Formats: sequence, C-alpha cells, structure tokens
Amino acid sequence: MSHPLAGHLEVDDSARTVRHYRYVVERMTRILGGWIALTPELSAKLLMGRHVWDNAQHADAWGKRLPELRAAAQVSEPASEQLVGFMDALEEAEAPGQTIERVVGIYRVLKPHLLATYEAHLARANAVYEPPTCRILARCIEDERRHVTAGETILRHLLRSAALEERARACEARLWGSLQAAGGVTGAGPVTRTSGGSTPPVLSDDASEFIRLERSTGRWPIAAELQAALTAFGDALVAGDTDAARRWLTAAAAPGPEMQGRLRDARGGRHRIVAVARVGAQRLVKLRVEGGREPLTLLLRCVSDGADWRIAMLEAVSASAAQLA
Amino acid sequence: MERPIAYDKLAREDRLVRMRAREVAQLKVDQGLPPFPDLLSRDSIKERVHGIMVGELQAMEGAGRTVYDFPDAPWEFTMDMARQVWDESRHVEIYVRLLEHLDGYIGEFPETTILWRCACAEDAAARVAGVNRGLEGLACDVFNQLVHIARKMGDPILERAVDYVLADEITHVRMGSKWLTRLTEGDPERRRRAIEFQETIDERFNLGGVRREGPHDVVPISIATEARREGGFTDEEIARLLRTTQRSAVY
Repeated sequence: MSHPLAGHLEVDDSARTVRHYRYVVERMTRILGGWIALTPELSAKLLMGRHVWDNAQHADAWGKRLPELRAAAQVSEPASEQLVGFMDALEEAEAPGQTIERVVGIYRVLKPHLLATYEAHLARANAVYEPPTCRILARCIEDERRHVTAGETILRHLLRSAALEERARACEARLWGSLQAAGGVTGAGPVTRTSGGSTPPVLSDDASEFIRLERSTGRWPIAAELQAALTAFGDALVAGDTDAARRWLTAAAAPGPEMQGRLRDARGGRHRIVAVARVGAQRLVKLRVEGGREPLTLLLRCVSDGADWRIAMLEAVSASAAQLA
Repeated sequence: MERPIAYDKLAREDRLVRMRAREVAQLKVDQGLPPFPDLLSRDSIKERVHGIMVGELQAMEGAGRTVYDFPDAPWEFTMDMARQVWDESRHVEIYVRLLEHLDGYIGEFPETTILWRCACAEDAAARVAGVNRGLEGLACDVFNQLVHIARKMGDPILERAVDYVLADEITHVRMGSKWLTRLTEGDPERRRRAIEFQETIDERFNLGGVRREGPHDVVPISIATEARREGGFTDEEIARLLRTTQRSAVY
C-alpha cells in the first residue's frame, strides 16, 4: 500500500493539467453557446442551453483553483496543437442540418472522454493534500455523467434512420480518432471514455421532457374546408395541373415566372402540411412538397370569404433541417 | 464557426412560421384587430404567451451567441451570459408549458425575429445595453403586467410561473446595467453608442404608444417602474422612457 502522502502530480504539473481542463471546458462552453442559434431542433437547443452554464461553472472552478497552485487565475492552455485541431474539427459542424454531428461530437466523444479523464484523476489524486482539486473533480464528474446520459437520450431521438445512425458513427469515429491522436484533453493519454450509465434525470434537466416538448405540436386544429382546399391545391401541384392549382389562388397571389418554375418542380412529389399559424381569421400554412424534382416548402396565407378558402399569398421559403418526429 | 452570424442564420423547426413584425401587424390591422395582442381574453393572453415563448427562445440563442462571439471579454462577463443562457432555456420550457396550460401549441402564431435582430449587435457593450436593458427591460414590463392580470383572473399557475421568470429578468437587467458600465469604462464614445442603440430598441418597443404608463388592466403594456429600478435603471432613465412613450406615434 502506498504512503498516504504519496502523489502522482507535482504542484506545477497539477496547475498545467487544470489549465488543460480549462481550455477544453471553456471552449466547449463557447461552442455550445454559439450552436444554440444554429440548431433547429428544440430538444437539442434546450439540451445545449441547459449545459452551457454547468460547463461555464466548471471552467470557472478550474480557473479559480489555479492561484491556489501558484499559477495565474482563469488561464486556459491547450495540451497540444493536435488538441486545438480536434476542437476546431468539433466546432466545424455549424450548418442547420448538422445537429447530429454537433451532439455526437460533444456527447459521444468529448464529454465521455472528459468524464473518464476526471474519474481517473480523482482515483489517483491524493486524499490528504488534494481535496480542493478532488471536490471540483467530483462536481464535474456528477454533471458530466448527467450530461452524457441526457445527450444520449437526445441522440436516440434524433437518429431516426439507419442512414442517420451511419452518419453519427462516421462522425464519432473521425472525431475520436482526432482526439486519440492528440493524446486526449491532457495530451498524455490514455484516451478512454465513460458512458453516463443510468443516471436518473432531474426534472429541470430531463432530456426526455425536451423531446416531449419538441413533439408537442402533433396535429393542428384546422377547419375541414381549409384542409380540403389545401389538399386539392397540393394534389394539383404534384399532379402538374397548374390550372387546377391556380383555382385556389386569389388574383393577388398569381405566381410570377420564377414561382411558376418552382411549382413545376413539385410535379410527381408528395405534399404535407408542416405548420399552421393564425393571424386573426387568416391562416399561415407551410406546405412541404418532397419527392418531386426539387424539394419545396411553400408559405401560404389563406383567407376565407365565409364559404371557401383561397390562398392570398404564396412564397417559397427555405426549409428547416428539422422535421418533426 | 462564423462570428457573429447573420440574422437569417437563426435555425428553426418547420412548425414555426417566421414573418416580419410589421407584416404581422399590418395583417391584423387589415382585419380590424389591434396590432399587438391585448390581455382582454384568454385567447389574446395565449397569443401574448406565444410571443413571449419565441422571445425567450431568441433570448437563449442571443445569450448563447454572446458567450461565443466575445472570447476576449472579461471572463465574468462570459459567466453572466452563460448563466443567462441557462435561465432563458428554463424560461422557454416554462412558456411552452404555459402555452399548453392555455391550450395552445408551438407555432400557433407567427414568429417575428425583431428581438433576435437586436441581439446581433457587433459590440458587446451595445449588445448588453440593447438586449439586457432594452429587451429584458421590456420583458420586465410585460411579465409584471401578466402577473397582475393572472392574479386578477385567478390563474395561480400563470401568476406564479411568470413571477419567477420576472425575478430572473430583473437579474438580467442588473447584469446589463453592470456590464454596460464596466465594458465602457474610460470609453465614453463606446458608452454613448451603446446607450443610443438601447434607446432605438426602447423606441421600437414602445410600439407606437402600446407601451405606456398606466393601470395593468387598461394599457396594452404597462411600464414596470419598480422592477426596472431593481434592475438598475435610474429614475432619470425611467423618466426618459416614459417621455419617449408619449411621442412614439408610429408602429
């Protein structure tokens, strides 16, 4: 049995390790914060929103520990250039359609590795003279375990097809390889990962609740006459019958040449309603057409004359990457 | 990652319809409706709550961008903004649940991005002045009034939940007051520009006389003088805001 005062890190080494932790955690905090606006899915937005503050507190705790180790406060230092490269690669996933890559990078690669690193550090830290570090490690471990579990719950929700699963696997392999090549967050390896296990969620941070909120708009209360008009309009579009489609438009909504071209691209596709909003008695409807020459999302402003519904405005809008489950 | 991002990069699920605020207001006016939902019926309260919900969503996104966009700002500034992200993410959840409580759904009304646009200022001082003092100040007004209306109509769920959110918003205003001062120390020109930016936001959200001094159940948006004072607004600033509400004639 080793001596109770035996230790594995000199004070300066301990400070360097803390700076390495702080580099990764601070950068992760900023990346998560920046991604929220770029992520369409509500569940993933809330996941990131909840964890930014936890991670900021971890970075802060590490930064405040530094002066106690004869080092400057709140300083971050990457373990190596390769680690900077790993973080750069992680951060690259900023397109709206890359939520899977964002969640995989943080919740299947970086956080599980941080968790394993913290656990290994805690297991080796000296219980007599390193309790200040141990307390920070214990708090970070508890939070990271909860985060990894929550992230995995969101990923199971997002990975709805074999193709998406494959995308996630490819991203995970690429980033994990990069992190391994960097020697992990401390640059000294071993580069391992720990799963979140079966950490019970707390109500304020329950990923399954985020998913429920994302799915909360199941069906829209939509008048039968409006539904019939939209179905007829959509059917005419995908049948390529522009005359029949135009019957549902008011004179003000008559499409110009460019829009006519877009509408022709809908031929052969399938249509479905993806949004219904109301402004007074009018309805704003998003109609999505897929499977034609080009996918198309139309925003329609629908007005009723008391008996029939007509489309008083029609424009093509950019489709979000996020389709409701 | 791009820093800062363009207005139109804000990512949304398909179920939300995005539209310019003035277009939505015009559509309502054309139908003989007030441009901004009043608090006279459960349905109009639901519309107000939906507007607040998307506002909280944009506030979370905006605070998150501030964490990312200003890596060279003082660390304590980043900490405050990270805390705000957490608060706003809980507010989103609270308002989605309140929407359910009022039998509404996400996407029931169009989303306007006027708040988000204000959160895209390129200078950190302007951003906290505009968002934490201009927009969160507006939030104090709106929530304070909603708490009173909820109490009057006997809805303790709405009253209690919104009152907790109001407490958070006062904290955010306080953060804005603190950082407007600290970030512009020794740079009066920067401070002047930041305050000007805030004032344009205040002017815009006076909504052509919709926000004004008066009883909660009479005026469309009443000014929460006490909450604003708790958030660090001076009496002079509050008096100036009251004066501007009297001259904002155009929405």
